[in-house]
Amino acid sequence: MEKPGDDKAYFSRSVDENLDALYGVALRLTGRPADAEDLVAETAAKAWAAIGSLEDRTRFRPWLFRILRNCYISDYRKRSVRPNEAVYDELADGNADEDVCSMLMNESDDFLNWWSNPEREFFNSMLGDRLVAAMDELPEAYRITVLLVNVEGLTYDEAAEALGVPPGTVRSRMKRGRTMLQKALWAEAIEAGLVIGQGTQ
Amino acid sequence: MTGQDHKHDDIGCLDAIEALYAYLDGELDGMSIEHVEKHMEHCRSCYSRRDVERALTEHLRRTGKAKVPASTQARLKKLIDNL
Repeated sequence: MEKPGDDKAYFSRSVDENLDALYGVALRLTGRPADAEDLVAETAAKAWAAIGSLEDRTRFRPWLFRILRNCYISDYRKRSVRPNEAVYDELADGNADEDVCSMLMNESDDFLNWWSNPEREFFNSMLGDRLVAAMDELPEAYRITVLLVNVEGLTYDEAAEALGVPPGTVRSRMKRGRTMLQKALWAEAIEAGLVIGQGTQ
Repeated sequence: MTGQDHKHDDIGCLDAIEALYAYLDGELDGMSIEHVEKHMEHCRSCYSRRDVERALTEHLRRTGKAKVPASTQARLKKLIDNL
């Protein structure tokens, strides 16, 4: 079935504007550049086939990311570098709020104290690389949520639409995912010998 | 509790931390923002937490973005144009 020309021009332009973001999310989901490229190509093909279902063009980004997410689950998750992690994610969501508050309230004073000392400069220098690596180590549900919100700039509502979950789940996953990142960096600092580990063991 | 210097009309550390990421992500309404910021004015511990998390957020935004390799971009653009 032929599409009107303005639909095609709009679609091409919109996908092009989001190509880096699509590729970035695909790469962090699959863990392999070749799979990421194929996943983006499949996403674009399915999105074009379904362009008629996009009722509100201001929702193009979450709509497109949702298609990418569905393609990933259907065809790529089973051969991703971490194929079994989704089970853990769903179980963990249940107590996310309580767990996060507990971690932040009781275990991060050491991190804060260390943050304010002179070694922070060194920490900053290693932070760029390690932070992204730590994000890559998050379980899938947290990784993609932090990625969509903090890296790609989607709102919680847009991320919820992209992921097919309620906005409250995005909020919970952001808290838990970000807390996991902080703990991972703290552990990294201890392992690197920058601080004497305490309170996070 | 790790907070300090609470005022009687202040939200507590627990509520402030519960709202911290939504606050940093621009997801709170005006009244909630006011409550969080008022708490930060009085609580050094939560103020420091906000600074740490804000710095981590900025690092993520700056360093987390991927760039499509040129060859991949060319292939994908060709594919999209031919749909």
